[in-house]
Amino acid sequence: MAALALRGLGRRCLLARLGPGPTLHRVIPMGTTAREEMQRFWERNERSNRPLSPHVSIYRWSLPMAMSITHRGTGVALSLGVSLFSLAALLLPEQFPHYLAQVRALSLGPALVFSAKFALVLPFSYHTWNGIRHLAWDLGKGLRLAQVTQSGVLVLLLTLLSSAALAAL
Amino acid sequence: MRDPGGCGIPPLTPTPVVPAALLGSALLRRPAALGAAAARCAPARESHGPPRQEHGSSRAASLHWTGERAVSVLLLGLLPAAYLCPGPAVDYSLAAALTLHGHWGLGQVITDYVHGDVPNKAANMGLYVLSALTFAGLCHFNYHDVGICKAVAMLWSL
Repeated sequence: MAALALRGLGRRCLLARLGPGPTLHRVIPMGTTAREEMQRFWERNERSNRPLSPHVSIYRWSLPMAMSITHRGTGVALSLGVSLFSLAALLLPEQFPHYLAQVRALSLGPALVFSAKFALVLPFSYHTWNGIRHLAWDLGKGLRLAQVTQSGVLVLLLTLLSSAALAAL
Repeated sequence: MRDPGGCGIPPLTPTPVVPAALLGSALLRRPAALGAAAARCAPARESHGPPRQEHGSSRAASLHWTGERAVSVLLLGLLPAAYLCPGPAVDYSLAAALTLHGHWGLGQVITDYVHGDVPNKAANMGLYVLSALTFAGLCHFNYHDVGICKAVAMLWSL
């Protein structure tokens, strides 16, 4: 935005310098467009292979920051899990009840079953509760930093409670 | 840098004053009258294409954003629906909403981390393949197998 203003100013200065008079004889060189200038900047920047300043490795972690990347991580994990299940449904020879019966035949202890269910429902629960928090932000609610931290703690609490409750079913 | 035109503000980039005679025909020229008019409005406009095109692409992005939120809300509503009235309607709705939500979500991840024209395009194409297979697999499961709702219920009864 500032670059455009400066370029306009530069052109006006140039016109003032050229002065009034028969305009047919005067021409102004076209110069580069903003897009071309940006592109040249990026080409030169990438060509020089400059090192990247440390950012995530040195910045102090905050709760909202950690919860944000966890939301992304759980989302990717859940998505890949669904895709894996889907591909298994396409490729495996037997139906779902067959494989379930095989797992049941392993006679796993109740503690192990609870832990497995808990591990499965934890990312799903977190992503769902934090997703609701995201939707509230999209409505413009709870965007002050104190509110962000409070809603974040609430989401973590709800995640643990609902995961434990669902795993116990 | 000396202020060339008496405007009071020295320009950041040097604006050369070139008499017409010295300009070669290779350089792009504009008559000064047009130049004055252009300087009043946005000078770089002509290189970006028609403004309607810009509004079109930003409108598409805005609609995409709204679509993402709509599918999120729909998916949220399908969770109690799956518990209270399991069946093929919820099964296929879940298959669609789950796949679309995941496809758009992974698309944002690609946009954030995969830079460069070619890698970005390749990653998005791979994503389309994955999402298509995922939806096909879920529909196959709903049709030929017990269906998503029943499968979760059976799994949880372990």
